[in-house]
Amino acid sequence: MITFLRILTGLVLLGLVVLAAILFMPVRTTPALAALPEDYTPPEGSGEYAMRLADCSACHTAEGGVPFAGGRKIESPLGTIYSTNITPDEDTGIGSYSLDEFRAALYDGIRQDGAHLYPAMPYANYRKMSEADVRALYAFFMDEVEPVSNAGPETALPFPFNQRWGIRTWKWAALSEPGELSSTGDAAYDRGAYLVEAPGHCGACHTPRNLVMGEAGYTAMDGDFLMGGEIDGWTAPPLRGPDSAIRNWSAEDLKLYLASGRNNHAGVNGEMQLVVRDSLQYFTNEDLDAVVAYLRALGDPAAGDNAPPVDPPRTADRLDPSAGGTQAVLTAAEPGMALGPRLYLDNCNACHFVDGRGADQVFPELDGNPLVTAPSATGLIDTILNGAEVPSTTVRPYSLRMPDFGHRLSDEEVAELATFLRSAWSNSADAVTTADVTARRETAEERAAAE
Amino acid sequence: MPLPDWKTTRRGFLGGGAGAAALTAMAVPLHAQSPEPEPLENYAPEYFTAEEWQFVMSATALLIPSGPTPGAIEARVPVFIDLQLASGFGSADDWYMAGPHIADADPLLGWQSPLTPAEIYREGIAAVNAWCEQTHEAPFADLLPQTQQEVMTALSEDEVPLPPELRGLFDLLLQNTKEGFFADPKYGGNHRMAGWTHIGFPGARASFLEWVDKHNVPYPLGPVAISGERG
Ligand code: HEC
Ligand code: HEC
Ligand code: HEC
Repeated sequence: MITFLRILTGLVLLGLVVLAAILFMPVRTTPALAALPEDYTPPEGSGEYAMRLADCSACHTAEGGVPFAGGRKIESPLGTIYSTNITPDEDTGIGSYSLDEFRAALYDGIRQDGAHLYPAMPYANYRKMSEADVRALYAFFMDEVEPVSNAGPETALPFPFNQRWGIRTWKWAALSEPGELSSTGDAAYDRGAYLVEAPGHCGACHTPRNLVMGEAGYTAMDGDFLMGGEIDGWTAPPLRGPDSAIRNWSAEDLKLYLASGRNNHAGVNGEMQLVVRDSLQYFTNEDLDAVVAYLRALGDPAAGDNAPPVDPPRTADRLDPSAGGTQAVLTAAEPGMALGPRLYLDNCNACHFVDGRGADQVFPELDGNPLVTAPSATGLIDTILNGAEVPSTTVRPYSLRMPDFGHRLSDEEVAELATFLRSAWSNSADAVTTADVTARRETAEERAAAE
Repeated sequence: MPLPDWKTTRRGFLGGGAGAAALTAMAVPLHAQSPEPEPLENYAPEYFTAEEWQFVMSATALLIPSGPTPGAIEARVPVFIDLQLASGFGSADDWYMAGPHIADADPLLGWQSPLTPAEIYREGIAAVNAWCEQTHEAPFADLLPQTQQEVMTALSEDEVPLPPELRGLFDLLLQNTKEGFFADPKYGGNHRMAGWTHIGFPGARASFLEWVDKHNVPYPLGPVAISGERG
């Protein structure tokens, strides 16, 4: 009993010490990763470009709002987090941030007043950004962005998540070492690694989370890095490993997807749409090639040499009448067919066709499409209910719209259709229930009402 | 008589877009199999008076008769016409209506009436019924089928004396009856896609690429409506 009490007291004391440490130990911020001269001026245009690489605008601009004036809602498992105003406004923006304070926000998630920022701000990835890019960003936000006075809504998470000091313990557990990345000597690969791992923060969505909700890896060396994650209920597909669909894409297809959100296989959707719209489409040709070289080589150094698979021709001839399976059922169009394929013929066949192969760069393939077969069917359900749109980009200016079917199909029908798609052609994924669909329809309605 | 403007526009038909885009533009939250609507006898017209409603019921039944295959009544064509007249089509919202109107001009010069479609129905039905009272001592709806047939024939051959601004009544009625039989069910007619099923039209399915090379093979599936309803 005595021993037990002694242990208990010990634990309480230890807890108090840790708490005091969290509260009172001074926060040490990461210094500049390279010594640049005091009077260093970033090359013309490099600030705006670094902003594109890091996609600051996607989060710091409200839907339809003034760029960088904040107020965008970011849904997190803890509650709604609002991005803040990062225009150089003295009172409501970051006009009074010094370079060191700015760097501390990017590298260590520390606000000017010393408060800890929620990891919705991707400092876990930005802490690998080069000093040159930090300086370019600082110059851009201080000198090129117009100050906008906008206080925006305050983030108010429920207890205990509103205790920002708690984020400090999370950082101890979840963050990796700051610093620039190791070099392999292959310039394109190294540049690609930098872009993806640091400013591009691709891992924030595409890397699974560990027990403390940190990213399970931050660089190509970590086996779990880019092995697939989840964002807003959608699967962010793995970009490496045997389950990654992009393994079977040619380098051109991968590049086209990044630059325009569309290629011969897929159309961009969900959160990735913003990444293409606000960030990737602005990458220079060389930087896109670097990202492609890096992604293709990741964990599979020989991938660069693999011949891309040859696609069958894409005309009416391709609809081989002797084909079996799903295609045969859809082609025969027997009135007694099951509801799933019937709904496909009535609603989807016009654009995605009986072989589920769509049309190059216009209608995505549904056969083998990671969104269709993702572990979470949320993306598929949302796409059927609400439709989708590939944004306009410089290389492909026309946006591609897929109609919404939520008003045309009941929840039971969407579930039947989605279940059919997930097992059609070569696809093989779990069934979807009516309850899954009802839940997503309610989410969409709540969001529309909140707009 | 050439009356191009009388059709509710094709654009209006498809609900704001052509082809596949038609699928995007549906306002009515109808799900696949909608419940059976109010029977026609109990339908409360939005535009027509009770007397006009009786006229339109009898007249459309005569133009597309019911038999072994469905007619205007089974397809709820009168409902379609009533709803159209109660809407922008009835009030000629997107027509040029500022005149000058020379109602008795040569019919080859097209639509010359100062009246909107809704007004043509209102005044035209009253005029035809008055003529029926005069010649047969009963309004159109109460005449024997054979007599109705004769009156309708006379109307179609301009032999019912009508003031010039009403002379388009028969063509308007015939045009709207066909539209009500074949327009998408979301407009109130073509109930359960009776018109489409009758002629084998597969509805808003939009693409038949896999059927292009199949000659003389009947297409097996029934139609689908813009609402997703399956026939
Ligand atoms: C994935 C979304 C996201 C991206 C991308 C992002 N931020 Fe943030 N940022 C946030 C959120 C959310 C907050 C507020 C977090 C909080 O309140 O704890 C924030 C806070 C900040 C702050 C603190 C401002 C203050 O005083 O409140 C700065 C500075 C900042 N971001 C700069 C940037 C810059 C520069 C970039 C681009 C290099 C960037 N952010 C990219 C989400 C993002
Ligand atoms: C905000 C979250 C988010 C970020 C950041 C993000 N992605 Fe994505 N990404 C997604 C989602 C979600 C999808 C699935 C989209 C779909 O199915 O249309 C996706 C899909 C992709 C795909 C297609 C994969 C496939 O199998 O179809 C590629 C390639 C990709 N992302 C690359 C990147 C790269 C490179 C970056 C960094 C520059 C990045 N993503 C950053 C969320 C994100
Ligand atoms: C009018 C043409 C059209 C019709 C009809 C259509 N789609 Fe699409 N679909 C598109 C276009 C265009 C895209 C690309 C848009 C995007 O991904 O943002 C797309 C994208 C998709 C995607 C996402 C693919 C990806 O790579 O992320 C899925 C899944 C999908 N459609 C399923 C369906 C289903 C199921 C139906 C029937 C209910 C359907 N589509 C009907 C045109 C259409």
